[in-house]
Amino acid sequence: MLSSFFFLAAAEDGADAGKAIALALGIGLGSLGAGIGIGNIFGSMIQAVARQPELRSELTGIQWLGFALTEAVVFYGLIGGLLAFVLI
Amino acid sequence: MKRLIALSLGLFLALPSVALAAEGEEFDPAHEWELQEWVPIHLGPLDLSINKAVAYLLLATVVSIAIGLFLMRVKLGRDPDRRQALGETIYEIAQVQVAEQGLPHKAIGRWFPYVATLMVFIWTINILGFIPLPLSDETVEIAGVRVPTLAIFAATSTLSVTLALALMTWLFTHIEGIRANGVAGYFKSWIPDVPKGMLPMIVPLEVLGQFMRLISLSVRLYANMLAGHMLILTFIGLIFLTHWAVFPISVVFGTVFYLFEVVIVVSIQAYIFAALSAIYIGSAIEPEH
Repeated sequence: MLSSFFFLAAAEDGADAGKAIALALGIGLGSLGAGIGIGNIFGSMIQAVARQPELRSELTGIQWLGFALTEAVVFYGLIGGLLAFVLI
Repeated sequence: MKRLIALSLGLFLALPSVALAAEGEEFDPAHEWELQEWVPIHLGPLDLSINKAVAYLLLATVVSIAIGLFLMRVKLGRDPDRRQALGETIYEIAQVQVAEQGLPHKAIGRWFPYVATLMVFIWTINILGFIPLPLSDETVEIAGVRVPTLAIFAATSTLSVTLALALMTWLFTHIEGIRANGVAGYFKSWIPDVPKGMLPMIVPLEVLGQFMRLISLSVRLYANMLAGHMLILTFIGLIFLTHWAVFPISVVFGTVFYLFEVVIVVSIQAYIFAALSAIYIGSAIEPEH
């Protein structure tokens, strides 16, 4: 199913090229949002630890939970994009 | 001795390049996810064939049992050596960071084994996915014998595996919720306190949210592993396919992504899956409202 989406240099007709651009744009914009979110999480973590270093071990778990939840958003975009690319 | 190990490791890792040169096919990383049947087993409409992903799952089962036995069961003493200390660290992460974060106190005894197993098992599958192993659909001829090429492939980068894991958590969530609160009490606990007029909008959303958990839990792990492997395979492929000037860039990026995946993503995803399972089960047993 996934065999056709990689290495689009081989794709000759314009529809495939358009779809490839759309896929790349979608993932790019998705990672933009997730990048801001992840930056926020780590920024807040640094601030929190700077203010109250004794809470560090408690905050680490929450930090990684937030990191993974935010990071996953990119991949929902990626999977959605790939599905759209393959199915349409 | 160390040099000998390094040399043999280097040769071992150089073998995939031999394979790629030998086959001379069109390079496409997505071929890695077209699973061929190794041992066909068909029960009516059920396809239980053993393929690459199933082989990796079986291997991961054996390895995770071995990890558990070796680190936490064999020759335990009052004065822990490094092996036992590592086992205790893993146990403590499972206990403090995963189970106690999500599960209410009374449920830890019953559900700690499940979430700890999830954590160790998913970590093992993930890390096995980044070690080149001779489990592959392709073969290469070395000294007259056709052996499988080395490949990196994680069973968790197929949706069936992660969906099965997520389905287990999802079923246990509802079973435990119903057992702890009764059928009516549990389904009532899905719906937050809102004005009556809002209910027609809120109820479908909450029901949909329960199913979205299933999707988000499985797709998170699946997409993380899939994207990681795709990136690494693509950069490895660029080494062989493009201009020589790309080679250093490709090697550097490939190594960076590989280390990122191995050091951070593998452990984080295992931790997240277990922690979210604990949180879901815990919130079903003791709803907040």
